[in-house]
Amino acid sequence: MDRIDHLFNHYANRSSSHLIDPEGIEELCSNLEVPHTDVRILMLAWKMKAEKQGYFTLEEWRRALKAMRADTISKLKKALPELEKEVRRPSNFADFYVYAFRYCLTEEKQKSIDIETICQLLDIVLGSTFRAQVDYFIDYLKIQNDYKVINMDQWLGFYRFCNEISFPDMSNYNPELAWPLILDNFFEWMREKQA
Amino acid sequence: MSNQRKRNFQIEAFKQRVVVDPKYADKTWKILEHAIHEIYNHNASGLSFEELYRNAYNMVLHKFGEKLYTGLVTTMTFHLKEICKSIEEAQGGAFLELLNRKWNDHNKALQMIRDILMYMDRTYVPSLKKTHVHELGLHLWRDSVLHSSKVQTRLLDTLLDLVHKERTGEVIDRVLMRNVIKMFMDLGESVYQEDFEKPFLEASAEFYKVESQGFIESCDCGDYLKKAEKPLTEEVERVAHYLDAKSEAKITSVVEREMIANHVQRLVHMENSGLVNMLLNDKYEDMGRMYSLFRRVSNGLVTVRDVMTLHLREMGKQLVTDPEKSKDPVEFVQRLLDERDKYDKIINLAFSNDKTFQNALNSSFEYFLNLNTRSPEFISLFVDDKLRKGLKGVGEEDVDLILDKVMMLFRYLQEKDVFEKYYKQHLAKRLLSGKTVSDDAERNLIVKLKTECGYQFTSKLEGMFTDMKTSHDTLLGFYNSHPELSEGPTLVVQVLTTGSWPTQPTVQCNLPAEVSVLCEKFRSYYLGTHTGRRLSWQTNMGTADIKAVFGKSQRHELNVSTFQMCVLMLFNNSDRLSYKEIEQATEIPASDLKRCLQSMACVKGKNVLRKEPMSKDIGEEDSFIVNDRFTSKFYKVKIGTVVAQKETEPEKQETRQRVEEDRKPQIEAAIVRIMKSRRVLDHNNIIAEVIKQLQSRFLANPTEIKKRIESLIERDFLERDSTDRKLYRYLA
Repeated sequence: MDRIDHLFNHYANRSSSHLIDPEGIEELCSNLEVPHTDVRILMLAWKMKAEKQGYFTLEEWRRALKAMRADTISKLKKALPELEKEVRRPSNFADFYVYAFRYCLTEEKQKSIDIETICQLLDIVLGSTFRAQVDYFIDYLKIQNDYKVINMDQWLGFYRFCNEISFPDMSNYNPELAWPLILDNFFEWMREKQA
Repeated sequence: MSNQRKRNFQIEAFKQRVVVDPKYADKTWKILEHAIHEIYNHNASGLSFEELYRNAYNMVLHKFGEKLYTGLVTTMTFHLKEICKSIEEAQGGAFLELLNRKWNDHNKALQMIRDILMYMDRTYVPSLKKTHVHELGLHLWRDSVLHSSKVQTRLLDTLLDLVHKERTGEVIDRVLMRNVIKMFMDLGESVYQEDFEKPFLEASAEFYKVESQGFIESCDCGDYLKKAEKPLTEEVERVAHYLDAKSEAKITSVVEREMIANHVQRLVHMENSGLVNMLLNDKYEDMGRMYSLFRRVSNGLVTVRDVMTLHLREMGKQLVTDPEKSKDPVEFVQRLLDERDKYDKIINLAFSNDKTFQNALNSSFEYFLNLNTRSPEFISLFVDDKLRKGLKGVGEEDVDLILDKVMMLFRYLQEKDVFEKYYKQHLAKRLLSGKTVSDDAERNLIVKLKTECGYQFTSKLEGMFTDMKTSHDTLLGFYNSHPELSEGPTLVVQVLTTGSWPTQPTVQCNLPAEVSVLCEKFRSYYLGTHTGRRLSWQTNMGTADIKAVFGKSQRHELNVSTFQMCVLMLFNNSDRLSYKEIEQATEIPASDLKRCLQSMACVKGKNVLRKEPMSKDIGEEDSFIVNDRFTSKFYKVKIGTVVAQKETEPEKQETRQRVEEDRKPQIEAAIVRIMKSRRVLDHNNIIAEVIKQLQSRFLANPTEIKKRIESLIERDFLERDSTDRKLYRYLA
C-alpha cells in the first residue's frame, strides 16, 4: 500500500492538485514503454474506473494497482498483458467499450464526440479485432456530412455491427430494422462502392 | 232361394276354398295375358274390368303371384319389342312422331294394366320387394325401346338435330319435342341426364363454340356483345318450352362459358372497339352490356375492372406529369374534376354503381394525383380561383356541389399538410385584399375541411376569419372615438393574430407622414384597449388607393401596394428622384424596392413613372419622374397585384422545406404518444403505428421516423433495450 502511494506521488508531484496530470501520464507511459495512445493505457484507466480523461486520482490509482498486484513500475509493466487479456474477455469488453466512449466526454453535459476523436478511438479500441470494419467506417465518417458528432447509441450500434454482420458482404444487414441511421447510410455507401 | 235341404246355418268368415285345379293358374293367366294383348292392340273396350281384376286377385291369393308377375314381364316385353321394331322402321320425320305416339299408348296401357293388377301391386310386389307395376312398365320401355341400339342413337340425333335447326332459325314442332323429352324425364332423372341432357349440353357447347368463334372474328366488341346476349334469352326460353327446368342453369352456364368466358380477354382488349375505346367515347350502352354479361362469369368483372384501372392510371399519370398541363393550375384541376365526373357517370350508368369499381376509381385517382408533388398547391390555387371569381353568380347549391368535388380530390391527397400550408397562404391573400366572392362559400369550405380532417386542421383558418371580423369592429370603434379623422385619409386596418396567419417576415419601411400619424393614432387606440399586446405593421402586405393628377388634368385613382404608395408620395415634394434617394427615404429593402419600381415604370399600361435610362431593369443609377403622359381608359387603375400565383421554383423549394420542418415535431409527437402508451415496442411496429397515426396529414417516411427516434434517444425520451436491439423503451 505504501509503495503504491509512493509510486503515485512520483507521477503526481508536478501538479498543484494531488493528481497525476497529462504530463504525469506521459511520463508513466514512457516508463512503461507503452505508446501514449496505446489501448493499454485506456485499459488501465478502465481498471482504475478513472472518471476524468487525462487525470488519475489516488483512489483510482490504488484501485487498479491493488487489483493488479503491482507496486512497482516493472511489476505494473509485467501485469499489462494480463490486463489486456482480462479486458478482452467478452464479458468485460462490452463494458470497456462503453467506458471508452464515456471517458472522452470531457465537458459537463457532453453527450457526443466529434468525428475526429471518434475515428481515433475506434482505431484504438476496435482496431485490433475488427481492422477492416474500422478502416472502412473511418473512411466513411470522414467523407459523410450528415453527422458532425457521434453519440453513445451510434457508438454501441457500430460494435453490434462488427459482431453481428458479416463483412464486407453485409448480406445479413437489413436497413429496415432498428440499426442507427448512420449505419444504414454506411451500408448504402459500401454497396455503392461495391457495385 | 229355397231352403230345400235342411242344413245348419253357420256364419263363417269368408274363406275361399282352395281350388285344387292344377290348370287353374294357367287358365287364369291366359285370360289375363289375352287382356294385355288386347290392351296393346287398342281393343280394351271389350274387356270386363271387374272380371280381370278378380282373376288377378285370385291368382295372387292362391299364391300364383309369381306366375302373374313374370307373365306380365314377358308379355309386356314382347309387345314393347314389337313396338320398338315398328319405330325402327319409321322413316324420316315420322320416327319421332311414332315414338311419341307409341309412348303415349304404352302409358295408357300401363295405366290400365296397373289398375287391373292393383292387388298384386299392393301385396305381392312389396312383400317380395319387386318393382311396382308402373315403374316396371317404365323400366321395360327404357330397356326394350329406348335403349335398343337403333332407337337410342337415332332418337338422340333426331332431337339434337331439331335443336340445332331451331338455333339456326328454323321453326320446329315444339309440342312434339316437349312430349318426347318429357318421356325422358318420366323415365327418371338419371335417364334424362344420361340419355339426353349430357349429350345436349355437349352439342350445345360445340355449337356455341363455333358461333362465338365466327362472331368474334367478324364483329367488333360492341356488336359481339349484342350478339352474345341473344342466346342467353333464347336458351332460357327453350328450356321453358320443352326441357326440364333444372336444365336452365346448366345450359346457361354452357352459353356463358362459350360465348362470354372464353372470350373475355379478347373482347376487353379488342383494338379500337374494346373497353378502353368504350371508356374514351362514353359508350354507356356497350359498357352496360359488357358489365351485365361479364358479371355472369368468374373473373369477368375483375378483368373489366383491372383494364379500367390500368387505363385510368396510365391516363392519369400522363395528365399529371405532362409539363404542358401543369402550366395552368386551374386548368389542371378542372381537367381532373372533369375526368372524375366522366368516370363517375360511367360507373353510374354502365356499371350499375358497382362499389368495387368505385373503389378502383378512387384508388387510381389517389395513385396518380400524388405522382405530381405540386397537386396540393394546384388544388389550393383552383379553390382560390373559384373563391375569387369563379363562383360569382353561381347559386348556393351549385357552389356546394363544386366544393364537394374539390373535397373529393382533397381526400386523395397524401400530403394534406402541404395543401394546408398553401391554402392558408392563399386564403390570407384573399381575405386581406377583400377579394373573396362569397363569405358563405369560404366558410362552407372550412366546414367541409373540418368534417374531413378534424378541428385542428381548421382552427387557425377560422382564426383568420375571426381576425377579419374583429378588425372591422375595432376600426369602427377607432373612427367613432376620433371623429376629427373623418376628414383625412381613410385608414383600414386588419389586425392579424400571429399564430393564425402564414408567417411573413416583417419588413420595415418609412411611411409618408400623413399615413404614419394615422397609424400611430390607431396603435395607441388599440393598445389602449388591449394591454399586453404588441403590434407590428406589415408594410409588405398592405394596399393603398391614391388619387393622382397627371399632366394638367388627367385624373386617376391608383390602387397600389404600400411600398408603391411610399414611393409615389415622395413625388409630392420632388419632381425627380434617383434610385438612391428613393431607397434612403423609404428604407424599403433593395429587392422589394426594385420590384416595386419595376411595376410602376416598366410595365405597359401601368407606367405612372418614367425611368431614365429607359431600360427593362432597375439599376441603382436610375432616376425617376412622374409620367405626365400617363393615360388609361379607366379612372381606377390597378398597379401591383396581390393575387395568388403559382410559386416559382425557389419559392416552391422554400415551402417544401418549411413543410418538412413542420413534419418533424409531428412525427416526434406521434412517436412519444405511441411509446407513452405502449411503453415497449419494436422497431417495425413503431414505424407502422407512426405512419398510421399521421396518414390523415401526410405519408411519413420511415427514414425520417428513424431519425426522429434517434433524436429522441439522444434526448433521453427513449432508450434501446439492452438485450434486444429491436426494442425501444419509453423513459418516463
